[in-house]
Order: sequence, then structure tokens, then C-alpha cells
Amino acid sequence: MDEKVLLKGNIAIAKAALNCGCSCYFGYPITPQTDIGEYLSLEMQKKNLAYVCAESEIGAINMALGAASSGEKVMTSSSSCAVALMQEALSYASSDELPIVLVNVMRAGPGQGYIYPSQGDYNQATIGGGNGDYKTIVLSPSSVQECIDLTYKSFYLAQKYKNPTILLVDGLLGQMAEPAIITKNPYPDIDNSSWILDGAKNRPSRNIHSLEPDQNKLNQHILKLYQKYQQIEKNEPVWEEYLCEDADIILTAFGTMARSIKAVCNHFRKTRIKMGVFRPVTLYPFPYKRLRELSVKARYFIDIEMNMGQMLKDIRLGVLSNAQISFIGKPVGDWLRKEEIISAVNNIIKEQYASI
Amino acid sequence: MQVYSIPKSIKKDSKFTFCKGCDHGVAIKIIAEIIDELNLKENTIAISSSGCSVLLYNFLDVDCLEAPHGRACAVATGVKRAHRAKGQDKFVFTYQGDGDFASIGLGESMHSALRGENITAICINNTNYGMTGGQMGPTSTMGQLTTTSPLGRNKEYHGFPIKTAEQIALCEGTQFSARVALYDVKNILKAKKIIKKAFECQLKGGGFSFVEILSSCPTNWKLSPQDSHKKIEEELTKIYPLEIFKDTTND
Amino acid sequence: MSYIKLDQNKCKSCYLCIDVCPHKLLKKSSHIGSTGELTVEFSDTENKCIGCAQCAIVCPEIAIVEVNR
Repeated sequence: MDEKVLLKGNIAIAKAALNCGCSCYFGYPITPQTDIGEYLSLEMQKKNLAYVCAESEIGAINMALGAASSGEKVMTSSSSCAVALMQEALSYASSDELPIVLVNVMRAGPGQGYIYPSQGDYNQATIGGGNGDYKTIVLSPSSVQECIDLTYKSFYLAQKYKNPTILLVDGLLGQMAEPAIITKNPYPDIDNSSWILDGAKNRPSRNIHSLEPDQNKLNQHILKLYQKYQQIEKNEPVWEEYLCEDADIILTAFGTMARSIKAVCNHFRKTRIKMGVFRPVTLYPFPYKRLRELSVKARYFIDIEMNMGQMLKDIRLGVLSNAQISFIGKPVGDWLRKEEIISAVNNIIKEQYASI
Repeated sequence: MQVYSIPKSIKKDSKFTFCKGCDHGVAIKIIAEIIDELNLKENTIAISSSGCSVLLYNFLDVDCLEAPHGRACAVATGVKRAHRAKGQDKFVFTYQGDGDFASIGLGESMHSALRGENITAICINNTNYGMTGGQMGPTSTMGQLTTTSPLGRNKEYHGFPIKTAEQIALCEGTQFSARVALYDVKNILKAKKIIKKAFECQLKGGGFSFVEILSSCPTNWKLSPQDSHKKIEEELTKIYPLEIFKDTTND
Repeated sequence: MSYIKLDQNKCKSCYLCIDVCPHKLLKKSSHIGSTGELTVEFSDTENKCIGCAQCAIVCPEIAIVEVNR
């Protein structure tokens, strides 16, 4: 079990889902995530689990919504423009407090875009495209190992908070193979016997619904959801720091992008520029608090993303006016290379941070 | 001897909130009676939808999940399959309007039928969007006046309506598809028999079962409850015949 | 002796039951119900009710709560 194996991100996610007891998967093909569904189709049929090739992503996420009401661990996966189709049900599932794990292996947009690498769904995942006051938990892996670890965590957090959870994966990572250890699921199962729908036997009937014609009750319901979100924001932010303690300049990135910028950071450290790397692992809840602490000491933040600056506004909300913030980005295509980033960072340092 | 009482599967002290004379109340009542007769109360998960039919969970005393508009059959698929993955067979049915089942949700509905999903769908067809105030729906008939077809539905301008039960009967995975009405005692009793048969189809495990119920919408039709029933009997049943279109339960 | 029990609080005055009663034992009462119209009452001074339950079958409001035969 502890042996390293060569694994693609998508397959790692599928294996981890099975490992932690996911018994229901509903999906529709879209590149670059299709191999998750392909892998699970055989494995789940062999075990007599629930697998449906849905008629659409709308069908898939609504099957997931129904299945989640049974208390089983439920997953669907898709990509960018098709995750857009799922936003309605995410809003419903958030209001219904149903635990669904949604894996979004991102492609480039807007619209159909193409299957090129991009991180263009940060806003879609963290802000959401559904209606009303709701939040979804968003986890962002940066390696195949983390695809496994964070799949486990996605199921755990979804069940723990009875909330849809999105695993936001770079297309690059979904399609990339690297060595990883298929660990055991470290999280306990959550008792859900108090709310699931399994037939009103020896108990009053239950109903799960989002319609609420009584405005006071609707207010109370949303306030209750927000108390839960506050707990999530208090308990669950996770981030990775690299050489941040004494850093003057902190590079920020999420997902796979954070890997190349560690090399950038090492490069500048050799030139005696005190640089660090800060990577949010949970995009919601975003680790604002730690970012603010770091911004008291660090003077400059450079946010680097494969989009036009979607996480940038969260960096700004964390840093406020404590430090200067710059952005390096590219919406789509070949990942920004170490050399490109070094040269862009050098330009920023020359132009804006002359005092360093 | 008491020969009639409120079905046990109706929530205590329920007071229906549908409009005066609306057939939803009769439909829910006979569904509750069938749930009682088949002893399904403790094993049922009902899926309600959007529109007037969403209110089902307020009245029916079984576990109930509300689906987003049109998605009831997809949600029911998930519910049915998830319990099956646990090794349990639950009785799962949807309760939808014609707009929900046959317009916004036609894809989910028809694919559930095509797959032969072992669920039952009940569709209340009142030939308009009732809850929003009587707009033209997928089943509005030719010439029908609605708030969005104020000059009457017209085939050149608005296009044709859908005959849902006939369409669903064409699907290979459909085991049972029928249309019933509730405009008089005889038809209510017949409707109950047919819905019961659809429920039993699922219990036997053969595939998709479907019943379309021609229902009155006195408020939006701007007719009395009596005249609404007359319209169903004299007009609608000519366009939407009351038949069992497919029944392969004995094959 | 057959009789029915009718819950006037549930009656919405659709009068569908009045139409189906074979002995015309259901009629408008003097009580104004939730729709602003007169609700239905059961009156059977000559013990004509046969407990056929047709009124209960057509009632969309489950306002006829009992039929006894």
C-alpha cells in the first residue's frame, strides 16, 4: 500500500474515491476528465455500485443530488463549461445541505474554449454561478499525491459539513502522471442517520427541500447556513508556505502553478532576494488570516495564475493595503515556464520595487 | 362501519393549499391511498418538483426530496440507484407537472424512461403553467388561450403540444404508460387502479412506469370546478385520450 | 344508518360533492369559508345517506373526513 506507483491525476482521484467508499458516480464525458468516469465504470460495475452514464451534466449532478440524500458517498466529475451546467443543482444541494463531491478538471474557456491548460474556473468554483447566498468548499491539489489526499478530504468535508465540495484540478494535473502513494483514507465516516432519506420507518417522515414560502423561516435557514460557513472558515483553511517567514517578496499561486514558482523562489533566494511562496490549498475557505499575518512583514506580493487574475482579488482581500501586489498571468496554453516567470518577476522588481 | 377515512399516508391535520377545485388534491389523496394499500409508507422516497406539485411534501407523510425544476426523474434515478448500491430496494416515485416533466425536464424524463429506470413518474397535466399564472405550456392545446398565447395556441406561431404518455410509451425501457383523468367518480376510481398498477410495476422491478393525469386548473382556465371537469371530459379527452398506451407487465 | 363527517375548515366551496350526492344531502351552509364563499354542510334528516362515499372521492380538499355505513 505504501509503495510509490506511477499515476495520472485523474486515475488517482478515481482510485481514492473508491478507496474511501464512494458508492455512487454519475457523469458525462468531457475532456480532460473523461478517464475518471472511464476508470470508475468498470470498477463500480464489478462491485455492483451505482454508476450511470447520464444524459447530460444536468442529469449527472441531479442524480448525485438524489443519491446524496441516501447518505451514500457520491461523486460526479466534469470540466469547466460543463460544470457551468451544474451550477443550479449546486445551489440546491447547498440549500438542501447535501454532500456531493464534484471534481472539476479544468479546461480553457470562456464558452467551449478548448482543452488547453488554464486555471479559469477559480471564480466559478469559489464564488459559484448558482443563485442565492451559498458557498461550496473548494480544494486545490498541486500534485498527483494531493489528488489522492484531497479526494479523501473532499468526501470527509462534504459529509462533515453536509455541503457540496469541489475538487478543482488543473487539466494539466489530471492528465499528468507522476509517482504517488495510494494511502488509506485517514478520515472517519460521519454518522448521517439523523437526516438521510431512507423511508420513514420507526421515525417521522423527513423532507429535504429548498422552497420556503415563509420569509422568516427562509431567513433563518440562510442564517443557519452562514453559521456553518463561519465554522468552515474558522476550522478548515489549509495552505502551504515555502520560505515565507523572513520573505520580503511572497509569490502566490494555486494548484500546479505553485510548483513551478518554488523553483523561481529558489532562483531569487540565490541572488539574496528574500522570497517565499504562499499557496492556498483550500480556495474556500481562503486562508485570509495567514496571508494578512504574512503581509505585515512582507512588503510585496506577486500573484501568478493561469488566468487573468481570479485569485488576485482574494490576495488583495487578505493583504489589504499592508503590501504592494502585482500580477503575472496568462489565460491559456503552455504553462508559464520558470524562465518566463523569473523574467516577469525581475521586471516587476525593477519597475516597482526599486528599493529591494 | 367506517367505509372511508383520510389515508394514513396523508400528514395529520393537512390542509391542501391548492386552488379551489384543483385536481391536485384528488391526485395526492389517491396516491396516499395506494401507498397505504400497498403498505409502502415506510419504504418510500417521493420526489417533488417545481410548480404546484412541489407542495407534495407538505401533505404526504413519507420521506420526500424536492428536485430542481424538471430534474425529478434524474434525482429519482440517483435515489433509487444509491439505495440499490446499499443493497436496499426503495420505492421511488416522482410527482411532477406537465411543464416540469415534459418541457424543462423532458431530457431527464425521457432518458429515465429510455434507460428503463425502475421508478414511477406521475405527471399532472393541466395544459398550462399553473403556479406562475397560466402561461402556455408544452401541453397547451391548439387554440387554447393562455397569458402567453393570448390569441390562442397556433401551430404556425407556437408549434404543437406534446402527447406525453404516448411519447413515453415509445421508449424501450418503459414498462407501463397510461393517461387517466379525475373529472368524475368513475374516472377517479379508474385512475387509482391504473396508478396502483404503475406502482406495482416498480415493485416487480420491470422498468419505467408512467401515469399522466389530466387535471383541472379552474383558476387559470377561468372556469368553475364543474366547468373545468366538463372541459376535460368533452374537450381534452378527445385530444389526450384516456388509455393504457403500453403495458408489458405480463410479458 | 349511514353518515359522513365534513370538516368545514377544509372546505373551499367547490361544491363538487353537492353534484355527486345521489340524494342531495349536501348543500351550501350559512358559514363563510376560506374562499369567501359558503361552505358545504351535510344534512340528512330522513336518513337517506347510503354511505356511497362519492362525495369523499371527489372532494379535492379531504374535507370529507369520514364516511360511515
